[in-house]
Amino acid sequence: MKVKITGLLGGIVFGFLVSWARVSEPAVIRDMLLLRDAHVFLIMGSAIVVAAIGLRLLRLAGTHAYVTDEPIAWSLHRPERRHVVGSMIFGAGWSVAGTCPAPVAAMIGEGRLSGLAVAAGLLAGVALQPTIVSRITFERQAAAPLHPVGL
Amino acid sequence: MITAARCPWYVAGPLLGLLIVALRATVNKPLGALGGYIDLLDGATRARRPDFSGYLLIGIVLGGALFATLTGSYAMTWSYRGVLMTAPGVPQFVVLALAGLAMGLGARTAGGCTSGHGLSGVALGSRASLVAMMTFFTTAVALANLITWLVGGLS
Repeated sequence: MKVKITGLLGGIVFGFLVSWARVSEPAVIRDMLLLRDAHVFLIMGSAIVVAAIGLRLLRLAGTHAYVTDEPIAWSLHRPERRHVVGSMIFGAGWSVAGTCPAPVAAMIGEGRLSGLAVAAGLLAGVALQPTIVSRITFERQAAAPLHPVGL
Repeated sequence: MITAARCPWYVAGPLLGLLIVALRATVNKPLGALGGYIDLLDGATRARRPDFSGYLLIGIVLGGALFATLTGSYAMTWSYRGVLMTAPGVPQFVVLALAGLAMGLGARTAGGCTSGHGLSGVALGSRASLVAMMTFFTTAVALANLITWLVGGLS
């Protein structure tokens, strides 16, 4: 229960920041991708720097997670073909829509209802992906795990 | 302080970074939106209650609504100004749904989206995430410029 509440609160902060910084505005993403405006690049870059430092300090401190009490640790994947192929397909959709999975959720919250079309497509893509991958590779090993962002 | 004006990058970026640290410090999980779609889908198809990532995604919607309400900018609209834009209507809906479909297929194959790989994974030092981020940025920048060049003069 506490984990779910933490997720909900984290999501609210995330969505609020995304909307406040206009990352939920497709025209802002378009201007980033056309290299007209560095705003989103700078947001992502500074977020990564702050998070990278904070995560290492957290690991150095050797504390346990406050809510779940598990040791703070993570494992990383080596680059594989699926990272390149999947990200090319993802990047194509991103450029056309001018939004991605988090900003489109914030956009819907702002009342911009065309985002629902993107979200419907996202749900369909996520639902069809395991079947499509197993058809192509004739094995299920490439089907993503339940929580693919566990990195 | 919270106004309808665009939050500058040097406020929004570091706050997002702190959010990633906060989620790691509390539940030892990465910030990523894609997992929420998978979680909610599984919840709908297998009668399973949404977990952390599903609630995170619901929270993002609520966060957008909270911002729009606080700034008085909440307005239901069908207008959409992306790269390949037409007037609101069925063709626009089809284009957006297909773009969403590509994102869902691609991100699940790659194991993460802009937030999961691009922010959280790269901050953790994942080489797979770095490869994913470089790939989707290169692809999206190239395609957005190509579309704009082909269609011409959209702004």
